[in-house]
Amino acid sequence: MSGDSGIRRSGRITIELFGMARISCGRRDVEIEAPLDGGMEGIVGVLANACPALVGVAIREDRMGLLDSYTFNLNGTTFVSSGTSRLREGDRLLLFSSMAGG
Amino acid sequence: MYGYNGRALVVDLTVRRAEWQPLGEDVLRRFIGGTGLGAYLLYEHCPTGVDPMAPENPLIFVTSPLVGSRLTTSSKFAVVTKSPLTGFIGDSLSSSFLATELKKAGCDALVITGRSASPTLLSIDDGEVGFLDATDLAGLTTSQTELAVKQRLGHRRKVACIGPAGENLVRFASISNDGGRQAGRTGPGAVMGSKNLKAIALRGTQAVPTFDPDRLNEIGLDLTRRSLGPATEKYRTLGTLANVSVFNRLGTLPTRNFRESTFELAARVDGEALHEGHHVKNAHCANCTIGCEQIVQTNDDGPVARGRMEYESSFALGPLVGVGDPNAIIRASRICDELGMDTISAGATVAWAMESYERGLLSGGENGGPELRFGSEDALTATLEMIGSREGIGDLLADGSRAASRQVGGGSEDWAMHVKGLEMPGYEPRSLKTMALGLAVSTRGACHNRSSAYEADFSSKVDRLEAGRERGRITMEGEDFGAVLDSLIWCKFLRKAFDDLYEESADIYGLVTGWGMEAADLKVAGERINNLKKAFNIREGWKRTDDTLPARVLVERLPSGVTEGAGLTPDDLDMMVRAYYAARGWTEDGLIPESKLRELDVTSIIVRGDSDIVSPSGQLEAKVCHAADTRTA
Repeated sequence: MSGDSGIRRSGRITIELFGMARISCGRRDVEIEAPLDGGMEGIVGVLANACPALVGVAIREDRMGLLDSYTFNLNGTTFVSSGTSRLREGDRLLLFSSMAGG
Repeated sequence: MYGYNGRALVVDLTVRRAEWQPLGEDVLRRFIGGTGLGAYLLYEHCPTGVDPMAPENPLIFVTSPLVGSRLTTSSKFAVVTKSPLTGFIGDSLSSSFLATELKKAGCDALVITGRSASPTLLSIDDGEVGFLDATDLAGLTTSQTELAVKQRLGHRRKVACIGPAGENLVRFASISNDGGRQAGRTGPGAVMGSKNLKAIALRGTQAVPTFDPDRLNEIGLDLTRRSLGPATEKYRTLGTLANVSVFNRLGTLPTRNFRESTFELAARVDGEALHEGHHVKNAHCANCTIGCEQIVQTNDDGPVARGRMEYESSFALGPLVGVGDPNAIIRASRICDELGMDTISAGATVAWAMESYERGLLSGGENGGPELRFGSEDALTATLEMIGSREGIGDLLADGSRAASRQVGGGSEDWAMHVKGLEMPGYEPRSLKTMALGLAVSTRGACHNRSSAYEADFSSKVDRLEAGRERGRITMEGEDFGAVLDSLIWCKFLRKAFDDLYEESADIYGLVTGWGMEAADLKVAGERINNLKKAFNIREGWKRTDDTLPARVLVERLPSGVTEGAGLTPDDLDMMVRAYYAARGWTEDGLIPESKLRELDVTSIIVRGDSDIVSPSGQLEAKVCHAADTRTA
């Protein structure tokens, strides 16, 4: 559905897991049906339902966002900073530690 | 005096004499400790234009005000010298019990000059200095040396030593301490070897008092609590090895000598794979609650190897040389640690040799040397051994990629991946533009740690694929922040546990020393330290053209991954370097105006050593005439 219609769009996206997120879930990625223009909160909630093992590891206990120690990157190019990002069907969100480098 | 001993022990190996040098409040407040105080002492003790391998080049071990305080991650020390790899300032950090022992032995710093006539073990026992024969230690690996010294002088001793690589003057040799921790970068082990100094054995019993131990204890407990929170989660779980899979996906994992930025076998060697198949346990430095060290072990039918593994070693001995077997990487890292060599420079120099071999510039198998092809595990391990002993092709490679490429020629300088002679760490500059600037302008050469400029690139603050003038200020601020971390000394992995590093560290500094310190004072100290490092380099012959990146980075574009097509033009790099100089308040040529030296209160240090270094035009001028003869190439 178009965002212009006032109805929230949803679509399938893939979350790629790295580090302890991957180890905790025992998988490299997960495909979810998620709201595409509702910001990251909605996506995190859907992801928490799909992979409960992420709660407390990468997702806050209230399931409303990521822990400070994790971040999303969109398609390997753009770091997602807030809940306002608009996604498209088929996008890939990378979930990894926000502590850069070493 | 609280928090400091107020003195440095200056040892001359040539005449076997030691004396104390007082360090007053004016020096300690301005340069703090660690790399800052080390830069000050280097400027004072290192003669202008000296050959880094000459007896006169000082090898300086420096503690900090926080050492001995029991604050988490504070048991660290710096090793500072004129680098035999770059010809400029070389500073490395290591950690654990050696730091506390050195301070309890009565030293804020240990300055070693001269050269022994024969292999020597330097014993420092509560400030009492002994020069012991170490002929029996010659040729031993680092772990063998440490064990032998402890068996001889007692297991209470803390040991810093070199392996065969240091003895053989491999220019990227490291200094090993506390069971295999390394002061790795810029070749301090070669300087130690040039002095015929095989090992240092320390014992100290005099704890340095702090000004307000009760309040410090309260703050320390809170800091410990924060060190176990989300800010350090990555380091406490997979350690820096977690970088491999992420960097590969982001197209910034240097592969096959920086020809590519993704590695098709990354999934076999990334942190997740090593955790699954090779992880033995996590380990800690002394007084550390983070415990980032990943102890890993081979799991195949070959010789068993076990040791620490972190991202830089994994990248340099894996993707950079095309090796995708984690067992081979673990063995190669172990070889480097036992020989006493920096894994980054070792891997990068072998990567240069592999490319040169494949392009027909180096010979191999027909004369008994290894077939230096990317991905060859046997060639990797054999070449590392040959470097450590300077046998065959190892003699060429032991001087580093810059010197080797200049000797071989044939265009191989273009794929010698170094800055100022120091080999590049595992950050692809074409896909990390802030990091590109940080690597180009760093005073110790291609270094990721002194600026941590990658942090901006791995955030939403900047577009990591686009160059921009704002990177000048970001890099400068990162360098000054890093200089404060490396002088106090805090572990970098604790940095995000602070709400405000400067405010909190200034408070802690006051509680340790009893000297008032404001956040603004610490910021200025960071700037002062970086300016003094730069002044040292200018004195030793630095030129504007030294602040650059390898030709490959400035000519070739990345061929694959999400960063396919990304490049960095010379004009874009020049624009960022100019922006950095402007942010620093330097001239367009990268020189330091005299007004800046006065503002930072370092003029007297520089003028004292070199009365003619400040030119009539008010700028520091390079003394190329001396330094050009001593640079490593």
